[in-house]
Parts: sequence; C-alpha cells; structure tokens
Amino acid sequence: MLSSARTGASLALRAAKPASAQLVPFRIAAASISSSSRKDAASAVQPHGAHGGLAKRERREVPLPSQEGTKGVVQYALTTLDQITNWARQSSLWPMTFGLACCAVEMMHLSTPRYDQDRLGIIFRASPRQSDVMIVAGTLTNKMAPALRQVYDQMPEPRWVISMGSCANGGGYYHYSYSVVRGCDRIVPVDVYVPGCPPTSEALMYGIFQLQRKMRNTKITRMWYRK
Amino acid sequence: MSYLTRTLGNLRKIGIKEYWHQLQYIGDTKAGKLVGVDKFGNKFYEDPEELPLRTRWVDYKKHDYDPAQIEPLWHLWISYGTDAIPSEDPLALTNRSWAAPHHIPNYTATPGAFKTYNTVKPKIKAWEPIAVARK
Repeated sequence: MLSSARTGASLALRAAKPASAQLVPFRIAAASISSSSRKDAASAVQPHGAHGGLAKRERREVPLPSQEGTKGVVQYALTTLDQITNWARQSSLWPMTFGLACCAVEMMHLSTPRYDQDRLGIIFRASPRQSDVMIVAGTLTNKMAPALRQVYDQMPEPRWVISMGSCANGGGYYHYSYSVVRGCDRIVPVDVYVPGCPPTSEALMYGIFQLQRKMRNTKITRMWYRK
Repeated sequence: MSYLTRTLGNLRKIGIKEYWHQLQYIGDTKAGKLVGVDKFGNKFYEDPEELPLRTRWVDYKKHDYDPAQIEPLWHLWISYGTDAIPSEDPLALTNRSWAAPHHIPNYTATPGAFKTYNTVKPKIKAWEPIAVARK
C-alpha cells in the first residue's frame, strides 16, 4: 500500500545503503589525521548500561550519516543538490541571540571587528522568525526556560542550537541551585556544545565552525524519505 | 592588504595551480617560505612582508580541515607565541611527559567523539520480567 508513495528514487537509495556487517566503523576518523596510536572508538567508548540491570543488547556500530559513502547516479545527483543547499545554509547563519549572562559578552565580542562574524555571514537577529541558529549564552533559569522554549518553537525549520558556556551546557556553577535548569538540552535539542566559563569568542567561533561542518555533512535530499 | 598588484605578484611567484588551491582554502593569494611540515602533513608558511598577524599561515593536509589538527607546538608558533619552529624551539626539548604522546584532534561528529558515561552504581533497579512457561 505504501509502495505508491515510495518512488523509484527512494528505493534506489535504500538499496544503496551499505551493509553494516562489513562496515569498518572507525573509517573516517582513523583516516582523518591519526598517525597516532590512539585506540579506536569501539574500544574508547563504553557501551552504556552494560553494567546496569537493563537487558543487555549487542553493541552494533552504525555509520554516521556523514560516513556513508555516495553510491549510484541518484545519490551523486542528490549530493550535489545537498551541497548547494548546505553551502547556502552555512554561509548565512542568522543567530537568535539568547544572551542570558556573561557569555553574552563574549558573544558580542564575536560580532565586533576583531573576530568579525559578518565575514562569515552571521548577523544577529532579534526576531526568532528570521533566525536559523539560537546561541544560548548563559545560565538558563527555571523562570526563563518556558521563554527559551517558546522562542525556539517560533524559529522556522531548519534550526540549530548552540549551547554556549558551562551554565548552558549542564548548569555549570549553578548546577545545584534550586532555580537553574541543569543544561539547556533539557529544554531544546542542542547541536553544538561550547565549553568554557565563559568560552572565549574564539571558542564560540570554533563552535560555529563545527556547526557549519555539521551542516556540510547533512544529507537533506537523501534523508527526507526516512521521516 | 589585498590589492591587485600584490595578488598578481604573488600569483606570479606561486603559479596558477597553487593560486587556485589557496583560493579554495585560505581565500587569498599568498607567497611565502615553507617553514615546516608537521607529522600530519600540514604545511606551515611564513612571509614577513605581510601585514602583522597575517604573516604566518597553514595549508591543511585534509580537505575537511580544522584548527584542532595543528599540534600544540605548531599552534604556539602560528599564534605568534614563539618565533622558533618546533624542531628548533628550546621549549620542545623540555620535559613534556605530561603531554599526550600524539596530538589528538577534535573527534566531534565522528565515532571517536566524547560520550559521557556513568561511574556510580545505578540508582534504580530495572525490573526484568520473567514469564513462567505454561504447563
């Protein structure tokens, strides 16, 4: 019954999915840079709940979307489309400034001539309806949390969130306070965490570069059918 | 400064192929002395004629480049912390046993990325249903 909705293109994409059995899990990261003897991810990352009382499941390495190769004519055509879209997205990020505390000062420094975010196409917008990224800079209190969520909900898709500073990442200094949310990822889904208290503007800029990398690796046209 | 004669002069020095390569990566045309290559294959250049803080630059080995791919001592050099390159820097000869033997790049968005894990005993005990087989 569903087959009418599934076009030939999407079926071709399905067929081109690599078999996970013969997959080398650490391919990209190992090829990346290491002449080092760092142990690979499979051994570095502990499986969660392996020691807990939960039902034990076999750990299966699944490739990240960015690690699946391009196979077939359809995927190559769609990759090009993705690249164009991603290029457009990553070169004009308009952040919704959610400056809550001292991190906001560093965020302001990013916009001043020394770091000059304008050259990256980043313009602060005061309106959530015109912005792509929300930079949560500072302590998120319980009182502010509904407002944060509302602003996030008002942002149009696609949208991203950068959590900036210890307080936004996990409560930070105020983790044990009665009135502070222990991390803004309890309220909104976070893409990039920038550590620091407060992070330097350079660190925030690096976080933005990481977000741009994430956008570059997003497969828009090859992912829609999975929803 | 980016004026036409400088760009053309540098283009004449480095050649059309390198010009195109630089345009893809650093977005500028620069001609400088190759100061050194690190373990990963990143090439470091210097041209004292450039404006201050633009005199040193890096040509990354990887296409998906990242400043975290620069080793600490090269980072010190490229951030103008020292004028000596790591192979000649007295700092490199000091005891650095506390440092990781190999530089670890940023593993974000790879399977090697950091994941938090729990080190304490679980506070809840999950219930595992055991159904008695019918007789």
